Amino acid sequence: MKYLPNIANIHAETELNLLLKRAKRKQTADIKEYLKDGGYLALEKALNMNPMDIVEEVDKSNLRGRGGAGFPTGRKWKFCLQNPAPRYLVCNADESEPGTFKDRLIIERDPHLLLEGMIISAYALGVNRAYIYIRGEYPAGYYILKNAIEEAKKEGFLGKNILNSGFDLEILVARGAGAYICGEETALLNSIEGKRGHPRLKPPFPVQVGLWGRPTVVNNVETLSNIPIIINLGSEGYKDIGPMDYPGPKLFPVSGKVKKPGVYELPMNTTLREVIFKYAGGTIRNVPIKAVFSGALDCLSVNELDTPMDYSQFGFGGTGTVIVLTEEDDIVEACYKIAEFYEHETCGFCTPCRIGCHEQAYLLDKIVKDEATPQTWEGLRFVTKYIQPTSVCGLGAVASRLIKQAMEKFPEDFAKKEQKSFAHI
Amino acid sequence: MLTQEIKDAIEAHVKYFGSKEEALLLSLHSIQEHLGHIPEEALEELSYILDIPLHHIKGVVAFYEMFDTGEKAKHRIYVCNSIVCYLLKSHKVFNAVKELLGIEPGQVTRDGMFKLVEVQCLGACSEAPVFMVDNDIYKYESKERLHEILAKYS
Ligand SMILES: Cc1cc2nc3c(=O)[nH]c(=O)nc-3n(C[C@H](O)[C@H](O)[C@H](O)COP(=O)(O)O)c2cc1C
Ligand code: SF4
Ligand code: FES
Repeated sequence: MKYLPNIANIHAETELNLLLKRAKRKQTADIKEYLKDGGYLALEKALNMNPMDIVEEVDKSNLRGRGGAGFPTGRKWKFCLQNPAPRYLVCNADESEPGTFKDRLIIERDPHLLLEGMIISAYALGVNRAYIYIRGEYPAGYYILKNAIEEAKKEGFLGKNILNSGFDLEILVARGAGAYICGEETALLNSIEGKRGHPRLKPPFPVQVGLWGRPTVVNNVETLSNIPIIINLGSEGYKDIGPMDYPGPKLFPVSGKVKKPGVYELPMNTTLREVIFKYAGGTIRNVPIKAVFSGALDCLSVNELDTPMDYSQFGFGGTGTVIVLTEEDDIVEACYKIAEFYEHETCGFCTPCRIGCHEQAYLLDKIVKDEATPQTWEGLRFVTKYIQPTSVCGLGAVASRLIKQAMEKFPEDFAKKEQKSFAHI
Repeated sequence: MLTQEIKDAIEAHVKYFGSKEEALLLSLHSIQEHLGHIPEEALEELSYILDIPLHHIKGVVAFYEMFDTGEKAKHRIYVCNSIVCYLLKSHKVFNAVKELLGIEPGQVTRDGMFKLVEVQCLGACSEAPVFMVDNDIYKYESKERLHEILAKYS
């Protein structure tokens, strides 16, 4: 390859050595390295299985989506299989939520793990054409994936008659161009089709009517990278990793005010406290923790550090994102940054979300700058209520969630600001 | 407007996907990479080549943040100002760029070399504060280091 952009220097650690076995090193593993580690053996094994048995195995493994929503992967696949071919498989590599940088590690450093997962999944789903949709801000990943696909083709793992099984598959890489909303699965499909990335109304779901109107499975990078692991270990072996209800390895991108920010591969019975203190080295200069943001979704207080890193309510299943704020950080200001993110990323399709996200950021900006009046506060309380119920997609549904939680959990910080607003009557 | 090189790139995208619609976003990336922005005339030509209505292409260009129909620039400096970089002092990056190049977000240097763009999370938060120059990602360390990095792009 003539030119490759640099890859991110992100720190990565793992005790499980499943998802990050190679990616913990700060370089791209080529196909030779992957094969040396037993790569593509799961594919060989899978191609000797009945596709339905693979689906069963994935279903029994209790694998849940790592893209955010946490939907059981086996169930999603079964829904898709109820609909006639041709079907598509789409890998969601749009990773754009603040604090989330786990998929990037797999893409940039161990692309063949993802490809092997995709090839097995496509075989199980009867798919002959699959896509990876990667965000525009990951150019290195784009070139690395295209390169890895060529490598896999040369070895006969992709293309026509894969390993003499009679199964054909091509994987195409599509690029986004800077729009968080394209991570929402239906917006993503529109984007691949060369349209504006507006979400579609659901139902119908992509497994029914997806890309170009065909049944489509959309899965996250980390989800698909678990598939070779499940095939290698079998669903029973896979279920031995971590807690019974939420098995399997999980990636946790940890950032903010910690000594050792990076991506940690851990079982899901780890607690938030362990992630921060045992793995990420505690806070910078040991300043007490103020709050933890799970991306732009939930705000947890220091009383909630024993939250497990799983799919229970406010757990860290899904993206697993951990952003640590300390007593040195201003929670109201941090909320403003979250509001600014949603203001920037609302796709503008639904009026309450378009206006509401803008309004929310505008009002919080006034509050942060001490220019608020009592009406500003009244407005903020109103707007954080009205975006959610009328929105078409998950963005509008959560645009006020973290901010509302912060107002409940840190009433003094907000009250202090509100006091000042009476000076502006 | 569109050079042969760009036309070849567009043709390669269409061949790759076997679909003009699916080739649209990558074609726009190619145009911006080669021309330093996306001028109106280029869209007219693209509309002709891909046989996609101009109004559709314009709607797409307007929707996606990275497509830049504004002033042309040889290189783009994307500085993350989302929550993590903000907490870890992204303002230092903006200040350093301003001091070195005299530009604010949205502006292009007088010689057309650099444009400063403020962006949301770049997905490298453990390295915060983070910036990209064209396709390359960097952790911000110091003004001196930023100067060295920018000197590599000419
Ligand atoms: C606004 C929004 C943004 C999203 N961004 C992403 C993303 O960047 N990556 C991702 O895998 N899923 C993202 N999702 C979730 C996807 O819609 C979808 O649920 C997921 O890709 C399914 O894959 P999984 O079942 O493997 O998790 C997003 C959802 C919403 C509502
Ligand atoms: S809820 Fe917001 S982001 Fe989602 S479709 Fe509506 S306007 Fe777009
Ligand atoms: S917040 Fe800046 S890279 Fe994620």
